[in-house]
Amino acid sequence: MMVAVFATMSLALICGWFGRRSLAVALFVLCLALSVGLFLFEIYSPEYGFRMPWIQTEFVGAPHVRS
Amino acid sequence: MIDSRKPMTTQRLLALLNYAYLLLVMFVIAGILTAAMTLQYANGELPCPLCLLERIAMFGVCFGIMLNFRHGFSYQNTGFSLLFAIVLLVVAVRQSLLDIYPRPGHEYIGSAIFGIHMPVWSIIIALCLLTAYAIKLAILGGDEYLREAELAEFPAIRKIADILSLYVIALCLINLVSVVLQCGFGECHTFNYKLLQ
Repeated sequence: MMVAVFATMSLALICGWFGRRSLAVALFVLCLALSVGLFLFEIYSPEYGFRMPWIQTEFVGAPHVRS
Repeated sequence: MIDSRKPMTTQRLLALLNYAYLLLVMFVIAGILTAAMTLQYANGELPCPLCLLERIAMFGVCFGIMLNFRHGFSYQNTGFSLLFAIVLLVVAVRQSLLDIYPRPGHEYIGSAIFGIHMPVWSIIIALCLLTAYAIKLAILGGDEYLREAELAEFPAIRKIADILSLYVIALCLINLVSVVLQCGFGECHTFNYKLLQ
């Protein structure tokens, strides 16, 4: 998948350089879609899903105030 | 249509500033990508999948700028660059949050530069890009003369832009070969180059 992302971006840059603008933009959009898909795949955890429980804080209640 | 409200010399100066700004952004991104690749090949610090996506986002920003130089200035190209600047920000923030609390298998990868690790640098870079674009739009505006200005009027900038664009394409191709070696056609890992085992 990562290879496909870099391949489409490389081709988009090359097409952009050689004047094939519409093809370059199509490859660019494909690269964007692949990047977003890969990003979601990479951050998904079977255990936590998309949540990040390690940065959740616990409610500790009101601090004890001396009377 | 040329904007008649501004004198020609002012319009030419603003167009020059616009192209100089684009050139500077591409130069800085090319420098950052070169530094990342130097760390990878000289220090053996293999990039993680999210680090590679951050590199792609930087190439995406360069793509929009390169189209401005190759096909004339357009706000559509600016939109392409801004899209990938936002992708860079989202990926970098998520990666920083992933590694912010060190756990087994989850800690900042690679060496810190000035005490800051690469994902956090990526947040700073993305914010700088978005801020720079916002400032440019606020100062230069969306006037017609930017689209009417021909790059051929500024031969020095055109020459540097061509060289820099080719350099960015070369960097992307080197990254492609490197990714093939590191990941093969499957998932990426940071242990070693999969195809060089």
